[in-house]
Amino acid sequence: MKLIRSEFLKIRTTNVWWLFALGTVVLWGLSFLVNCVQAHYILHPEGVPDEQAATISAMGDPAALTAYMATSGQYFGLMFVLLLGILTVTNEFYHQTATTTFLATPHRTAVIVAKTAAAAIFGFLLWAVTTVLSVIGTVIFLNAENAEIALGDSSVIRSILLNLLAFALWGLIGVGFGVLIRSQIGATVTALILYLVGTLAVSIIVQLLSNWLDQDWIRELAWALPSNASGLLVSGVDLPDQPHYWVGGLVLLAWAAVTGVIGTLITRNRDIS
Amino acid sequence: MGSEITNGEIVVSGLTKHYKQVKAVDGLSFTVKPGRVTGFLGPNGAGKTTTLRMLLNLVRPTAGTATIGGRRYADLADPMAGVGAVLEASSAHKGRTGRNHLRVICAAAGLPASRADEVLALVGLTPAANRKFKGYSLGMRQRLGIATAMIGDPQVLILDEPANGLDPEGIRWMRDFLQSLAAQGRTILVSSHLLSEMELLADDVVIIAAGKLVAQGSVGDIVGNMGDGGLVRVRTPKPDELIAALDSATVARQDDGALVVTGTTAAVVGEAALRAGVALHELVTERPDLERVFLELTAGKEAIR
Ligand SMILES: Nc1ncnc2c1ncn2[C@@H]1O[C@H](COP(=O)(O)OP(=O)(O)OP(=O)(O)O)[C@@H](O)[C@H]1O
Ligand SMILES: [Mg+2]
Repeated sequence: MKLIRSEFLKIRTTNVWWLFALGTVVLWGLSFLVNCVQAHYILHPEGVPDEQAATISAMGDPAALTAYMATSGQYFGLMFVLLLGILTVTNEFYHQTATTTFLATPHRTAVIVAKTAAAAIFGFLLWAVTTVLSVIGTVIFLNAENAEIALGDSSVIRSILLNLLAFALWGLIGVGFGVLIRSQIGATVTALILYLVGTLAVSIIVQLLSNWLDQDWIRELAWALPSNASGLLVSGVDLPDQPHYWVGGLVLLAWAAVTGVIGTLITRNRDIS
Repeated sequence: MGSEITNGEIVVSGLTKHYKQVKAVDGLSFTVKPGRVTGFLGPNGAGKTTTLRMLLNLVRPTAGTATIGGRRYADLADPMAGVGAVLEASSAHKGRTGRNHLRVICAAAGLPASRADEVLALVGLTPAANRKFKGYSLGMRQRLGIATAMIGDPQVLILDEPANGLDPEGIRWMRDFLQSLAAQGRTILVSSHLLSEMELLADDVVIIAAGKLVAQGSVGDIVGNMGDGGLVRVRTPKPDELIAALDSATVARQDDGALVVTGTTAAVVGEAALRAGVALHELVTERPDLERVFLELTAGKEAIR
């Protein structure tokens, strides 16, 4: 517990946390606007090609739409949680504080666990901020559209809570990633590229491969990407061309477990000099 | 704040660290006694920092053990209360204030945040407490390091070149500070290159070169064993009469008018002067200094490998 306090104090006593919070809120605003536009078209589906009609109508379900809107900003919010998780580790090497940290706590696994917890708490706070904003925005928007608001629906509440799980797990993935790539710039740049470009690239590659080999299952591989899995996790209802929402949760858990365990093992054996 | 370490003896035994290119530390054994200041000396690259890091569980030894008060550092239940350390290549987050840096460690050690202010005052950093670390001068950084080490009021203090960047007053302060801690029965292990400072500060020395032990013992023994007997420097307005009174000894006149007497002690010279009725303006025993001994001991050992 005292370690978690110490790690959270580390986050609180530098500028990074409010810069990231600010970034999250600004990008939440953008995402929410985009989602509003999309939702508008889902609510007024004119001239939709037949093959997409099923998906569109499934997304137009009040619970699905409310869940979709109320988890707005997840994509960029998760990115900031990921970056913060990375920074909690790489900062220690970049600013040469690892020595002091591991002198105070020679039990290194405990330090990693505390960092994970602190990053998860930060994720929780970002989730709370974006969720409050999203819920307020969703109510206003759906009212204006005269659409049904399904905030009380159990699947919507489940989505919002699972979104919290995603925010927390991404903190863990960030910590693991930071341990794997110790260089501050190296880790953040790699993570950003993987997150922003990699997701898209893999989705395209998977799409092409599945078309080329004429194998549908290849397309499913895209869900193994943590960012796609997070989106799947919070998609209130099961859409026709998607796996079940809990598959996303399992994928995220697997990523978090793998990065966490590898990260801890590396940290335990590393020479700090 | 009961420390579990009561007898803070440091025992290094067969300690070895091989890096790919170099045997940084090679079968090193020595002990450090509580209640004394022990200087840890060696040329650049001798393996001092590596040894201290192995002692503190930061670097994994290839072989051998190092214990503090009979336990490995990793096995201490409350390491901050047992051992405080200032190591090179250890620093603080540039964007964090000195006070917050210390508070973070207080939190990790389960100590109240007020302890941060106490150690800041102890090292004279209170005026800079709320400034960010990136604005600290070298000496201020060293002081923050010492403050960090003192947070748990440790029984054992380990410092890697703490005098680096300190001003003369700071060096003086540190000498008094470390000696007073040793007088309280604590164990103080300090690495340094400043041999004249070490001679003033340390009771014992451990000298290593190329990762191996070269000499260990009290400063007096090490310097005495190596030196070629006593040297007494004396200054008097009546040098000729004093020379006559000291017939048995060899006396040399120096350019600045002082006399250097070899093969005797200051007491003998003083008594001779009293009998001869000459006034003395200066009377000092000059030992061969630690620097000369150190250079002799480590000569021929490749320093940077
Ligand atoms: N992480 C490392 N990887 C490879 N070699 C290392 C590493 N750390 C230290 N060394 C080597 O080990 C040897 C001992 O280094 P160390 O830093 O312990 O010396 P030192 O006595 O503290 O020197 P100085 O007086 O310059 O501080 C050196 O040759 C150094 O190059
Ligand atoms: Mg060194």
